[in-house]
Amino acid sequence: MISKKTMTLNLTDTEMDALERLSAQKDLTKTAVLRQALRLYQLVEARLVRGEKLYFENDATKEKAELMLV
Amino acid sequence: MSSIIERVPLIVRATGDEIDAEIRHPIEESNLHDWETKWKPIVEATEKRLRAQGIPRAQWPQDLHWDWRKKMTDMRGLLSGATFTIECEKATQGMMAVNVSNARARIEQQNGQHLVYVEYLEAAPWNRKDHMAAPRFRGVGSILIITAIALSRSEDFKGRIGLHSLPQADEFYTRCGMTDLGADPKYYNLRYFEMTPEQATKFLEGKEKS
Repeated sequence: MISKKTMTLNLTDTEMDALERLSAQKDLTKTAVLRQALRLYQLVEARLVRGEKLYFENDATKEKAELMLV
Repeated sequence: MSSIIERVPLIVRATGDEIDAEIRHPIEESNLHDWETKWKPIVEATEKRLRAQGIPRAQWPQDLHWDWRKKMTDMRGLLSGATFTIECEKATQGMMAVNVSNARARIEQQNGQHLVYVEYLEAAPWNRKDHMAAPRFRGVGSILIITAIALSRSEDFKGRIGLHSLPQADEFYTRCGMTDLGADPKYYNLRYFEMTPEQATKFLEGKEKS
């Protein structure tokens, strides 16, 4: 498929634990989890640069909470 | 400059002959130029003909309004999107835009898992029966679905894909072996189709045999 490059990543034990938990929860390799995180980070940054805000909405109550990014 | 993902055969409908084609990534300016100078005149001619014949708008091809240039502008630079083309005979035979980040699976057995969400998939109008009495190539849509499955596997999504279908394409996605989860009130009431890893394998095996 699309060509990829390899890099070494240094993580703390806590970060590695979190990565391994997400990897298990989402049935993804650790590389795939980090790739998803990068995509989301880039998308959020692009929307913030455009002056938009990031909200979470409770699907049941429709209550919205802004994720404050300072 | 786009890169070649794979070389694939397209079938000439009139003769059954195979022609070598390339799956390429990403969509680039030359493809948008094809869309504007080769696809759009045929699409506009179809619209003019249907209007002159008094055919109700509900029976027109439902993707007449798709704007690939706008879509590409919206996606530019974002890692969440990926785009592909099929090219041969110095022309773009089909295009597909997918999202690899924002959509999650809905079928119970894979609920919440990542998948490749197909946002746009379109064959060139000269390959379609709703534009041409004698379409040129067969297999463009299937090859793009195979490409989406291959991307899903390479992303570690195991072949899972999903999409909202225009009503005229419902039958095609059913034939692909996808599960029809019904009309989605949150997305223009279009039917949502999803493919599991097992369905993806079955679809690919069926294509290898045919």
